[in-house]
Amino acid sequence: MTHPIARFVARRLLYSAVVMLGVIIVVFALVHLVPGDPVRIALGTRYNPQAYEALRAASGLDRPLISQFFSYVGSALTGDLGVSFRNGDPVTVTLLERLPATLSLGFAGIVIALAIALPAGIYSALREGKLSDAIVRVTSQFGVSIPDFWMGILLIALFSTVLGWLPTSGYRPLFEDPAGWLRHIILPGVTIGVVAAAILTRYVRSAVLEVSAMGYVRTARSKGLPPRVVTFRHTVRNALVPILTITGIQLATLLGGVIVVEVVFAWPGLGRLVFNAVAARDYPLIQGAVLLIAALFLLINLIVDVLYAVVDPRIRLG
Amino acid sequence: MARAAVRAAVLAICTFLTTLSACSTGERVDLGQGAAGSLIVAIAGEPDQLDPHKTSAYFSFEVLENVYDTLVEPDANLQMQPALAESWEVSPDQLTWTFHLRPGVSFHDGTPLTADDVVFSYRRIIDEELTNSDKFSSVTAVESPDPDTVVLRLDRPTPNMLTNLGGFKGMAIVSRANVESGQIATHPVGTGPFSFLGQKSGDSISLGANPNYWDGPPGVSGVTFRFISEPSTALSALQAGEIDWTDSVPPQRVTQLRDDDSLELAVTPSNDYWYLALNEAREPWNDVRVRQAIAYAIDRDAIVQATSYGTAAKNQLAIPEGNPWFTPYDRYSSGGLDRARELLQEAGAQPSNLDMLVTTEYPETVTAAQIIADNLAPLGITVNIRTVDFATWLDEQNSGNFDMLMMGWLGNIDPDDFYYAQHHTDGTSNAQKFSNREVDRLLDAGRVEIDEPTRKSDYAKAATLIADEVSYIYLYNPSVIQAWSPALSGYEARRDGAVRFRTATLNEDGGA
Repeated sequence: MTHPIARFVARRLLYSAVVMLGVIIVVFALVHLVPGDPVRIALGTRYNPQAYEALRAASGLDRPLISQFFSYVGSALTGDLGVSFRNGDPVTVTLLERLPATLSLGFAGIVIALAIALPAGIYSALREGKLSDAIVRVTSQFGVSIPDFWMGILLIALFSTVLGWLPTSGYRPLFEDPAGWLRHIILPGVTIGVVAAAILTRYVRSAVLEVSAMGYVRTARSKGLPPRVVTFRHTVRNALVPILTITGIQLATLLGGVIVVEVVFAWPGLGRLVFNAVAARDYPLIQGAVLLIAALFLLINLIVDVLYAVVDPRIRLG
Repeated sequence: MARAAVRAAVLAICTFLTTLSACSTGERVDLGQGAAGSLIVAIAGEPDQLDPHKTSAYFSFEVLENVYDTLVEPDANLQMQPALAESWEVSPDQLTWTFHLRPGVSFHDGTPLTADDVVFSYRRIIDEELTNSDKFSSVTAVESPDPDTVVLRLDRPTPNMLTNLGGFKGMAIVSRANVESGQIATHPVGTGPFSFLGQKSGDSISLGANPNYWDGPPGVSGVTFRFISEPSTALSALQAGEIDWTDSVPPQRVTQLRDDDSLELAVTPSNDYWYLALNEAREPWNDVRVRQAIAYAIDRDAIVQATSYGTAAKNQLAIPEGNPWFTPYDRYSSGGLDRARELLQEAGAQPSNLDMLVTTEYPETVTAAQIIADNLAPLGITVNIRTVDFATWLDEQNSGNFDMLMMGWLGNIDPDDFYYAQHHTDGTSNAQKFSNREVDRLLDAGRVEIDEPTRKSDYAKAATLIADEVSYIYLYNPSVIQAWSPALSGYEARRDGAVRFRTATLNEDGGA
């Protein structure tokens, strides 16, 4: 008797939990699958027998595998992801410190991308084969081809060094300093937003084109409905499902960390953290970051699934 | 109607953007502690941790140089000067060093500094066998007969004791309470010119001036170290006035920046050096003539150009010109391939393959390897460049599994640091298995020689022999490259790479 959307969400949640368990198993196995002794590798030049034993004991790697596994799963479920090999900081704390910057940049990027891609893609589809369609398509091809670090450096040179309008780099937390947050997020947000927009525009265009060829659109048109009603109520609404899918994937990718853009703008997000952790072979931190990013992916998938159900009632029954 | 709404929206966005940019024009970015006269600098990466005894990262030492003190410290010419120790005496047999601590020094938490803190710091390095424990290899006891006196007992004369104790902040005097609370890695407490205020993960570290610093309060109210790893961003931030100083400078822009009056630039050859080593446990590299042939065939100019855009100083020995331990030496710059062919012929050797070990951890090794492969091709030698991660590189080096490798040594000051571990038959870093009786004798003598001119001449002879016998093929000294705003004064770039802001002052009008 429950609401169909609630049932749908419950089922999706269950799937997500199963996937998450799989992720935890893979992440746990990571340390044991890398060639060589992770403790020895992590210590590198700082290796000495005393430090080795200390780190091995501290990370629990001296205990039997099965007991390590259950304590890892148990700790992970309670939010304890261990401590960093490098400096002993709790991994969970470090990840949570970086999360706001990553979420800010990911959402800013996707908002900018959608703001460009939705109008451009729909417009281009409606003008299929005309000059304006060609211009949009060429521009988006151009956008896909621009390396993001190059675009970032050019934006900094223009808007920070020459015009002095915006800061070159850095991050302010949204809730401490909203104006600072906005000023700092514009350049990196535009950099990733433009690249994402170029990809999204092509999906929006083809989704709208596909729906436009459907019988019900022709019917709507032949009923004499005004073009705007045909476009938005019949075409775009039906094209939303594939657009949502690709938007979700794009957003998840952005949240997984945009290393290059983070490096260019000295943005304290997850991407640079993971990059540095990999370089330093800080396994607990790598494991924690992979778990967090996987969880974000699942969460976004879940939200997209729910949105499908909202947009397209047929999916609720599926 | 719709058009009017769109127009209104566009107008609103424009107004908003204008307001936003209007309030940002020329404004310095305030990082929280940005009181007037506070310095904002950019370093190229985030410190891994802030425990001076445990970190090995340069980024950590850039910050810690300003937080901690050592008993003695190097001046601009790398001569040791009093710091936490006001004076010291050495016993006639050279086996007892007595240091008198400066009175009235306190840690940033207000606890007074005593001889016990010095003993605690040194015992921590020795007992926990930390990386720097080799600096105490001749030390048998560390004692504090009274709160103002520290006594070191040695088992052999150690002329470079002061350099060992004060050469870098890895030998810092730390606070026992700070260590025992486990806070030292994240909230270090020192006695230095600036105290640690806080760190924003991935973003910045802030220090505040220590008004009670023994050498007088610093000229700025604080220093914020931002982490900007992309050099072109750091340079833009400097040009936009957001930061006052950076060492994250793109080397390819150095030539252009030299002519730029809007910022100060320092390019100083450092004590760091890069070298090639041939595995003398393997044929034909055990023949000195074959090694010399390689040394003649290498094009140092091309390597310097490719690895540093010409900002580094090529060198056939380890120590750069301008350093008090510099020895002039030029054997391999003329002769080139012809001399190399002659030497190979004399040796009766025709090596056709050379397994060269390099690592992505140090990209200069990968870049240089390609030039070296090109240099050796005319001799009929095919260089097989093996690029591995650093952990593998270390394992391969230690197990002697290479024909040639390229690596660098960073942060050395005393000649003993430059040569002993690397070239003594029993040296701990002699992976190339070099062994020369005369070099051993000179290095052993230099370790205990008290007379400065004799010591200097011992090391000059040793350095010359090492290059003649090709234990290492020295390549170049990279430069310390730093740029800062003309508003920053009282700062000087140092050849040991130590970044000290205690005497820096900021002219508020100058930069804008």
